[in-house]
Amino acid sequence: MIPKSYNLPDFEIFNSSNLNDFKIWIPDKMYIVIGRSNNIEDSVFIEKVKEERIEIFKRPSGGETVILSPKTAVISVKLNVKNELNVHHYFKEINTIIISALSELGIKNLNQKGISDISIGNKKILGSSIYRKPDKIFYHAVLNISEDVSLISKYLKHPKKEPDYRKGRSHDEFVTSINKENYMLDNEAIIGKISNSLSNLINK
Amino acid sequence: MKYIFNFPDIGEGLEEGTIIEWLIKKGQKIEVGDLLVTMETDKVVAEIPAPRSGVISALYGKEGETIHVGDALVEIEIEGLSGEDAIETVMNDKIQEQIKEEGAGVVGTLEVAGNNMIMSGSDEGFDETESADKPVKRKIISTPVARAMAKNFGIDINLVKGNGPAGRVMKEDILNFSKQKTKSSIKQESAKDETNQLVEIEPLTQIRKTIAKNMIASKHNAAHMSVFDEVEISELDRIRKKYKQKFEDKNIKLTYLAFVVKAVAIALKKYKSLNSEMDTVNDNMIYKKYYNIGIAVDTEKGLMVPVIKNADKLGIAEIAEKIQELSEKGRTGKITLDDMRDGTFTITSYGSIGGKFAVPVINFPQAGILGVGKVTKQPIVKDDKLDIGLVMPLSISVDHRIVDGGDVTRFLNTVMEYLNEPVSLLVE
Repeated sequence: MIPKSYNLPDFEIFNSSNLNDFKIWIPDKMYIVIGRSNNIEDSVFIEKVKEERIEIFKRPSGGETVILSPKTAVISVKLNVKNELNVHHYFKEINTIIISALSELGIKNLNQKGISDISIGNKKILGSSIYRKPDKIFYHAVLNISEDVSLISKYLKHPKKEPDYRKGRSHDEFVTSINKENYMLDNEAIIGKISNSLSNLINK
Repeated sequence: MKYIFNFPDIGEGLEEGTIIEWLIKKGQKIEVGDLLVTMETDKVVAEIPAPRSGVISALYGKEGETIHVGDALVEIEIEGLSGEDAIETVMNDKIQEQIKEEGAGVVGTLEVAGNNMIMSGSDEGFDETESADKPVKRKIISTPVARAMAKNFGIDINLVKGNGPAGRVMKEDILNFSKQKTKSSIKQESAKDETNQLVEIEPLTQIRKTIAKNMIASKHNAAHMSVFDEVEISELDRIRKKYKQKFEDKNIKLTYLAFVVKAVAIALKKYKSLNSEMDTVNDNMIYKKYYNIGIAVDTEKGLMVPVIKNADKLGIAEIAEKIQELSEKGRTGKITLDDMRDGTFTITSYGSIGGKFAVPVINFPQAGILGVGKVTKQPIVKDDKLDIGLVMPLSISVDHRIVDGGDVTRFLNTVMEYLNEPVSLLVE
């Protein structure tokens, strides 16, 4: 099984003429996206994925395999960055903006954990990664708004690498969603708030 | 002239990255900014641009291989120049460069030597833009006497203002510069001495950071427990001496360590807990059925632990040869990550330096480490008679979470039996 090259809608901004850009996209169906150096056999329960005909893409950025679904939001940001090799601080900068937006919607106990995750308490709600070209960075993240976390265990194996705060926890114990944490916010409210905040970053 | 480009720090505190894809080939001509390689660190994939133009003369590492920050990544032959000729050429080269003052744009044009072209791997991060407050090497006109005097006094003639015709540096200029330099250096040195007499500060090297991290990880995660003993090795010494010359004829140095490695590898087969690690994430014990013995090597850069793979399957001669090869690599800084991977047990042999016993720190997550001390002649009791024996002190540390006291003692006894009766090594 060979993954497709990443061409999902959020990647449009990577090649757009705007130097700085962002897009928040709600997937139309379920997709599995593996990291640049992941392989399908190590990351995915292949039979299950084949059976349900879920498309698998390989993104250009690092990190582990994720599931996209209509109950998640894909947040992508492109920034014009020149001659900067160390780009990890952009995780902090963009994730701080997302945390502020979610806090304004009333979500509490939000933290930045691991290298590039956002959590509620010690449970992950967002994972992100970066692809850097010499003149730009492409950040993208998946925010779990209301997806059932048991879906992850159904399709994805335990990752090879994990952040310290995961402490060996299974997908079900480690991941949560905004709804599961009793914040009954709809997609539009979340997307609107984060869009406003990212607009400020892009236009800065 | 060769320029080694080291893997730069592309993440906050991240120490390693994986080579995803080489974007250039050996022999390929490149320009500054051309993309060399796609690297992945945790969560980031980045394409690394070339810092210099030239021809790629070596790529260090294969796709899929993990390398550390500071390790050599590519070697670039800067075109048209090589060896000492290159350095001389570059030093004498006159290049028109626009000198920029930091934050103030172009402020002037001076004739300068292209000294920034001479660089080693340690020049990583060198700022290509000269700032106006840095000393600039100008084209200098001087008399031969002034040049010779400057050399004798250890003065950089580029720093001396010439008062001769057309700004030529004269003998008097060197003498005056020397007097001024002496006065100012006395002041500077005395102030510097006051600050530095109590401490000397050096930045941590990458290898020192790694050693520190690994040592702390070991002490924090393993329950260290040590056992000490001594073994009489006169018979082993006799065999070693007997075959030493034969080995030397093949350019192999036959050391006690080769026998210790073999003894340990065979003993590990009998005591699987010593060749294991604990997987606390999945609550498993991992018993390894391969016997890769790490040898702690004292190098100029610091401690390194290259690994003799499948030592149980190698003969004494092969082990001795491997030790020699890895030690040489350690001394010359050529040990690769592959050389240091997949150790299952470690031996640290400090006896050649002098210590008898030690409490070695386990090479975590391995389960044990054996220390070999200085071999000395000592009085021993043999067949109820006092005799002179050749005694090797041994110190073993184990992770007491994994290895019980009885097992480590039995393991050490087995190693000692092999060393005491080395013929048994051949029988096993």
